[in-house]
Amino acid sequence: MAKHHVNLKVNGDEHDLLVEPRKTLLAVLRDTIGLTGTKEGCSTGDCGACTVIVDGEAVTSCMVLGVTASGKEITTIEGLAGDGELHPVQQAFINTGGYQCGFCTPGFIMASKALLDENPNRSEEEFRHALGGNICRCTGYTKILEAVLKAAEEIRTTA
Amino acid sequence: MSDYTVVGQTVARVDAVEKVTGAAQYGADVHPPGMLYGKIVRSKQAHANILSIDTSEAEKLPGVKAIITQDDVPSGRRVFATDKILYLGEPLAAVAATDPDIAEEAAELIKIEYEVLPVVQDVMEAIKPSAPRLHGDGTKDGPNRREIATQIRRLTRDKENDHSDEISKLEAELENYPDEVYYNISAESHSDAGDIEKGFAECDVVVEDTYVIPRVHQTYMEPHVSVASADSSGKVTVWASTQGPFAIRSGIAGTLGIPLTQINVIGTTMGGGFGGRFGVIITHVPAVLLSQKSGRPVRVQMTREEEFTDGRPAPGCVIKLKTGATNDGRILARQALAFWDSGSVSGASIGSTIRVRGVYKIPNLKVDAYGVHTNKSGTAAYRAPGAPQAIFAGESQLDEIAERIGMDPVKFRLMNMREEGDPIPAGATEPKVGYKETLEAVADAAGWWDREAGENQGWGVAVGDWTNGCGPGGVYVAVHEDGSVRIFHGSMDITGTDTAISQIIAEILTVPYESVTIRRGDTDSAPYSTGSGGSVVTFTMGNTAKLAAEDAHQRILELASERLNMNVDNLELRDGEVHVVTADPPKSILLGELAAYSLSTTGGPIVGKGSFARQASTPALAAQIAKVEVDPDTGRTRVLKLVASQDVGFAINPMAVEGQIEGGTVQGYAWAMMEEMQYGEDGNINPGFVDYRVPTSADLPTVESVIVEVPAPNGPYGAKGVGEPPITPTLATMANAVKDAVGIRVTELPIKPEKVVQALQSNGH
Repeated sequence: MAKHHVNLKVNGDEHDLLVEPRKTLLAVLRDTIGLTGTKEGCSTGDCGACTVIVDGEAVTSCMVLGVTASGKEITTIEGLAGDGELHPVQQAFINTGGYQCGFCTPGFIMASKALLDENPNRSEEEFRHALGGNICRCTGYTKILEAVLKAAEEIRTTA
Repeated sequence: MSDYTVVGQTVARVDAVEKVTGAAQYGADVHPPGMLYGKIVRSKQAHANILSIDTSEAEKLPGVKAIITQDDVPSGRRVFATDKILYLGEPLAAVAATDPDIAEEAAELIKIEYEVLPVVQDVMEAIKPSAPRLHGDGTKDGPNRREIATQIRRLTRDKENDHSDEISKLEAELENYPDEVYYNISAESHSDAGDIEKGFAECDVVVEDTYVIPRVHQTYMEPHVSVASADSSGKVTVWASTQGPFAIRSGIAGTLGIPLTQINVIGTTMGGGFGGRFGVIITHVPAVLLSQKSGRPVRVQMTREEEFTDGRPAPGCVIKLKTGATNDGRILARQALAFWDSGSVSGASIGSTIRVRGVYKIPNLKVDAYGVHTNKSGTAAYRAPGAPQAIFAGESQLDEIAERIGMDPVKFRLMNMREEGDPIPAGATEPKVGYKETLEAVADAAGWWDREAGENQGWGVAVGDWTNGCGPGGVYVAVHEDGSVRIFHGSMDITGTDTAISQIIAEILTVPYESVTIRRGDTDSAPYSTGSGGSVVTFTMGNTAKLAAEDAHQRILELASERLNMNVDNLELRDGEVHVVTADPPKSILLGELAAYSLSTTGGPIVGKGSFARQASTPALAAQIAKVEVDPDTGRTRVLKLVASQDVGFAINPMAVEGQIEGGTVQGYAWAMMEEMQYGEDGNINPGFVDYRVPTSADLPTVESVIVEVPAPNGPYGAKGVGEPPITPTLATMANAVKDAVGIRVTELPIKPEKVVQALQSNGH
């Protein structure tokens, strides 16, 4: 299959790639660039495990073709911690026990980060609904919500 | 408060940073150089004879490197279907190609010709003589016929006396039960206690109902995956997403006839298991075969759709249950007849039907259970396998009895609960357990005793019991010259167990938790370890870790004794230093100094070894209370409050224990309210998250967990396995709450809104 030239900026690094048009952004991130922190849980956009941030917006990368992401700025779970410091959302997931098997965690953290960037002043109920596109099978969500609320508080107080 | 400094404390898990940064390596993250992508070719029919499999077109596709069918399985053990297909999605062949899309294309190019056969999906249909047979007749007698047949056999055996009259009478009696010849039976299980007829005769109230529990999928978030690499010497390396690397090693060896020494299984970080990640053939064996044939590493990864069609979910079942009690609230008799849907193979959790006895003093009990073949994939364990189904029936019916005799459901349960020394119906004697404490704790925490309910609101309570398993394990612990402690073992971390092991060793060696590191070996390097399922890990590996640390502790004192020229009895390990107890001024030596000193001694470095296999476990109880509100117009049930208590023995890491309680409870909620694998003539019809809904954060409130600690005599620090119990009562908790809210007793799960609306309408709403 003919490949197309794609330029992606992922976690600050430029990648010039030749990509088949049928490859998803998820496949490009994982198989071509080798950033395997983003997970594939359903391949149909329903579980949110593959959530990354594209130009500031959380998207399920299994539902985006790699070629359509050309020229865009992408942040994956690997790009979240900076200068040896975890992002407040990452730290909150650790402190509250907001993960168990960890497979959905990168997607949850990216979805939460996008929500918090947009507006950290949400109620628990609002966060519960806003995170409804991500499935976790281990935690029952109680500690995930606790983590997101804690991160929101941290972000509000340091902002 | 305990005197412990590390165990019993909430600590961040040992894998915290790798899990929140995306660094943890799961199965699909393994990518050896030259790796090919495998794809399993699956049946598009639910029941059919295979007429032909034609791979010729697929072979021509550029990028295809290997195609395998059953002909490529040298041992002849069934990996792929050959003559008959028993369910939609059954593996027929597999392909390896240079790209996943090419592998998928190739799989579609393989032509299968079928002769389609009639399909049976419902267990109650499958047992009838008119049903299509999956594996020959498989007939078994139902409970009454079975009893009569046993009597006939007994009389026939007695050659000394003439029983011919009695025998012909009994044979005539058999004719009374024509419907009790069951077909398509895969297995059976029977147990009883007391005298069931007499028991029911003494009851004032008897309730009888049929409970239908659907097949549900464990729905671990990481689909099955393995990467296999067979080298030219015949050595096979398998990176497997599994709960039991050692079981996978022996499974591959047995299936393919490869010696154990030629197989190394590397367990990758597990993206959830819940009992469903022990299968050998599922992806591991095809990956090995494809690698052997292509000479390159191959990854076989299931899609979510494949998980639903060819995973090994929890069995559904039909349980006919009858319970009798006296007007003053004593349960006297209970009888169950259960049909478990084992799918195309045997192995559903039929033995768990006995759990209808719950934690109650039921003097008369009779349980008959059958596994039934249908055109579905086989089943596997799912968190307390079989218990949620049986306990749903038992605990739902208990509420019906309580209502009829006018007793509070919590008081009714408390009154009938077994205590230490009571006989367990069809079992041994009850040890010291926290049944009543756990139920009382949840009632208090939920505000049960002064509960209020608005219109269409209701409260439900239920309890579920489970006992953790136990198995062999080995742990090494070493102390290094900087005073740090290194742990090595072979057990898969199942969401927090590596942390518990680390805490236990830190506690015994009196070092900070942060100075302990833990590493899991592969099957080539690590000592044997039992699979991480059945809530075994903290119990088994915790005990093993304790032994290893105590061994190291002893060596530390020996070294200190040598170094300080002091009798061991006068030495004590405390705060990471060995102190001379009687020294004035105080005298001590750091662990790190001793480790450094050890390197030049005759005895050598500090290495502790722990090896453990079996100790009696103690039952654990989970008790839950839900407050719900049912919208009578839409039938939708909203959970207002969900409180879950559990007797955990001792919580080594309370935050992790809470996480298990919360997660298990929500899985139980999902089974009660939303999940159901649906099957039609063509097999599974809802193989994805749009049609098979699992809960999201939007569906639920905060789960309030309550930890109860009644120590288990053989558990490390009294700990019991905590993973499985919390799912066991929730199905009934929810059904009981809905009943209390709107008067509708749902006996067929899940409690979907349409069912509630229909029931309300037929009740005249």
